[in-house]
Amino acid sequence: MLETTALSGHHAGSTKQKRINQRMTIETDNEQRTGQWEDALTLVALHQDKAAYAELFSYFAPRLRAFGIKMFGNEQQAMEMVQDAMLNVWRKARLFDASRGCASTWIFTIARNVRFDMLRKKQSRKDDISADDLWFDGDYPEQESNNSDNWDTILMSEKLAPHFDGLPPAQRMVMQKVYLEEKSHQEVSDELAIPLGTVKSRIRLALDRLREALDDTRS
Amino acid sequence: MTHAVKFHPGLMLLEQYVEGSLSADVALAVSAHIDLCPHCQQQSKDITNDQASSLAEQQVNSRDAEQEWQQMLDFITSQPAISADTGTSIKVKSQVASVSVNGKTFEIPRALARLAEQRNKWLHLGGIATAKLPTADKQHVSLLYIDKGTEVPNHTHLGLEMTLVLAGKIVDENGEYGVGDLLINSPDDTHTPRTLADEDCLCLSVLSAPLKFNKGLTRLLNPLQQFFY
Repeated sequence: MLETTALSGHHAGSTKQKRINQRMTIETDNEQRTGQWEDALTLVALHQDKAAYAELFSYFAPRLRAFGIKMFGNEQQAMEMVQDAMLNVWRKARLFDASRGCASTWIFTIARNVRFDMLRKKQSRKDDISADDLWFDGDYPEQESNNSDNWDTILMSEKLAPHFDGLPPAQRMVMQKVYLEEKSHQEVSDELAIPLGTVKSRIRLALDRLREALDDTRS
Repeated sequence: MTHAVKFHPGLMLLEQYVEGSLSADVALAVSAHIDLCPHCQQQSKDITNDQASSLAEQQVNSRDAEQEWQQMLDFITSQPAISADTGTSIKVKSQVASVSVNGKTFEIPRALARLAEQRNKWLHLGGIATAKLPTADKQHVSLLYIDKGTEVPNHTHLGLEMTLVLAGKIVDENGEYGVGDLLINSPDDTHTPRTLADEDCLCLSVLSAPLKFNKGLTRLLNPLQQFFY
């Protein structure tokens, strides 16, 4: 049974692997590399560096637009959101703090908040719940990942195999590389071209999700 | 004496909260819960990283809207950046806030600080008091204070009810809830929440529809349900 788990995991991986390889070659053309966007934001913050900003813009604006279209369901509002969010990135670059998270997270939360407030303004008056109430723009005390170690054994049990396949693809990919291919977090980060923090986040989320799935089966 | 939070929002609710797709009133209860719960702080941080990276990883056709992009870029970079001074003043945030009711003062989470300052007057009925928070019309978000040894009459929810314990303790047929615990009751759930003899309770209450009281004389309360809604 243990073998089946490993095998099915491996199989799912090999097709995925090709896709990732493809994507990575595409991304290398753009020199997409962890750390690039944080550096660019620092240049914008220090010198209002237009070239560095233009790079950030050409990468993130189309991706925010796709997010906006998904959330609003129309392009006009999506573009309004992109402009407002990217203007905030330009104007507030000096508030970015790389020690608290990576550039993509910062930009995503700005867009999310802009979108939320756009919706609220449409619906109502000023005495209302705002993005600033909902999302704390600061750090919460880091709660160190508690017991991922105990999970190694449970992860191997056959009970978990079906749930493993139910993980969101991005989380399953990271789990597979760490637990089945035994790669370090840093190696996975390099391989998938995602920030190290995201690798750790995806592992924790996958473990939480597996735990939830197991609890549901029990009850 | 810190209370270990036992009742959390599920992952799906947290994901929608992070994405910004929850309705504002429900998101407010989730946000206040997160302020009180280190576990969910970590989880929502992780979900934020996950969603942000997914956004950054997307493949897009960069040819789309090419001309608009150039115009937008020119417009943005012609705008002044905020100066260092404004930068720091924007960051000033969140002192601890509190509310007073029944002669007592309670600390409340950061997410509720601004809205609680603008709350309506406390309305009292028996050992129970409510104060509505100013939110958009369709939402019913209020602070709910229950004095010690008080029972809220048995009721059914016509809509979704979320109750977040901010201070003290409350019990119902299903269990005991302390600070940070988030109770979610769906339509048709029936319960009789009450406080213990020696401890009162302050909650945040979010209702998507009025309550319906079920038993005997308390049915007379139904016309008064605006009090709870």
